[in-house]
Amino acid sequence: MQPRADDIRTALAGGVPDAEVAETTLGVVARVPLGMVLDALRALQAAGFESLVDLDGTDTGELIELTYRVRSYAHGAEAYVKTTIAYDGELLSAWEVYPAVLMPERETAELLGLTLAEHPNPKRLLTTDGVEPLLRKSVAVRTREEVRFS
Amino acid sequence: MSDPRNDVLGVGLLGEGLHHPGEPPAGIRRVPTGVDGLTTEHLIINMGPQHPSTHGVLRMLIEVDGEEVIAAEASVGYLHRGIEKLAEHRRYNAIGTLMDRGDYVSGIHGETALALAAERLGEIEVPRKAQWIRVLLAELNRIASHLVWYGTFGLDMGGMGQFLYAMRDREALLDILEAITGQRMMFNYVRPGGVIADLPAGIAEKIRVFTDTFDAYLDEHDALLGGNEIVHDRVKGIGVIDREKALAFGLTGANLRAAGVDFDVRRARPYDAYAEMDFEVPLGTTGDAWDRYQVRMGEMRQANRIIRQCIDGMPEGDHTAKVSRVLRLPEGEVYASVESSRGETGIHLVSDGGDTPYRMHYRAPSLFALQALEDVLPGHLIADVVMIIGSTDIMLGETDR
Repeated sequence: MQPRADDIRTALAGGVPDAEVAETTLGVVARVPLGMVLDALRALQAAGFESLVDLDGTDTGELIELTYRVRSYAHGAEAYVKTTIAYDGELLSAWEVYPAVLMPERETAELLGLTLAEHPNPKRLLTTDGVEPLLRKSVAVRTREEVRFS
Repeated sequence: MSDPRNDVLGVGLLGEGLHHPGEPPAGIRRVPTGVDGLTTEHLIINMGPQHPSTHGVLRMLIEVDGEEVIAAEASVGYLHRGIEKLAEHRRYNAIGTLMDRGDYVSGIHGETALALAAERLGEIEVPRKAQWIRVLLAELNRIASHLVWYGTFGLDMGGMGQFLYAMRDREALLDILEAITGQRMMFNYVRPGGVIADLPAGIAEKIRVFTDTFDAYLDEHDALLGGNEIVHDRVKGIGVIDREKALAFGLTGANLRAAGVDFDVRRARPYDAYAEMDFEVPLGTTGDAWDRYQVRMGEMRQANRIIRQCIDGMPEGDHTAKVSRVLRLPEGEVYASVESSRGETGIHLVSDGGDTPYRMHYRAPSLFALQALEDVLPGHLIADVVMIIGSTDIMLGETDR
């Protein structure tokens, strides 16, 4: 059973009153300011969303939008928390709330060019030092380099 | 590094040394005095990325105190091909080839996850027959994948026979999959709207030969490993990922169900024709390596049961909906997930209205299992490490993407 927007609004009412909750094609999405993400995740965890099952980021062209997906197995429910962060911004790790973010945060940070704060192991996960944040829209898949013979 | 001798193994690459969740960086910890006042120190073992027991190109850095693992860190990325980035530059029908190369032992599931996401966003109605064909192939592929796990799990313990028998049965499955899709592993068969081609004539009989014999073969497989006292001694009680830990690390699939959590995407959020299938979801209790073994063996039996239902009840009709070759999806985003061989494979698809995804995120269940291993391995003997890794059935192709 999927939660209604009102259920999520109630869960977030105490800790994150500014959350904008809506039912979308994705599901029930709570949009919160970057500084309130941990509060929102804690509130949802307290409401029974016992597991975080995914985290990813999207370069919107102006900033990075992060999407956290949490699930309650007891209620068969899922919800999404979205926030935005500036390019090269600092992302406070949520690993103490949901240890499941440990590797997804590393991946998201390196592929979208963010800095991780208070993460126990903020190293790159998939690429080596010096590789550009590949999932930024400004990073091209193909580059042309003319080969000249002398 | 405080002591240059520690750099002999290249551990300088680790910066401050190994660490795992919940603890500060460990570094190389010295044990000042041992028996008879001898000074001793921990050792970091670099296991992989080229190692027969890491199931792909996984590099595990393991800090040991004698035979006991103190800390473990997974180093991945050796197979990173930028699948998510490449998908942003391909039309929807051409992304399946990328998905095949994620979890390359179980490609149908990745293809299906992508197709489901595109269909949900595009509100595409998939013909009933196409849904049944997808379920048929997903379960054939599940058994083929689990047989690779079963064979290599025994190899990790030093057994060889079970691997050969597993490959014999997998070969029969790959022949069937090849007859249907034209490919043995990189199928590129599932497309938004259905599947690329109808089932070939005579395939039902070929599949029936397999299903009629496989249950008995599975009994033999189970007797070979599960009935072996040495295997019991090696596997029972190690690598415990209990319910609490499984939920904390975001585990899904057999690794989650081994801890007793009754969640299977096929049943909780039925997709394609799974709502019409009669099957059970095997569960474990303690979440140790033995439970994970039993759950996967049970899943093969259930998959064979579903395959039988598919060939008995395959409906008539089209194998695909009428979908434009250049599919344009409306602006928006969806999340679709399937129960793959390794857990919940998910696709978060963001469209800007164009003919390629604006963003496609690929949730790899192995990534979540891998991060749990960093927490689980400490406290075990070094000989148990390969067994525990093997029991989680991780796939580095999807971890690295």
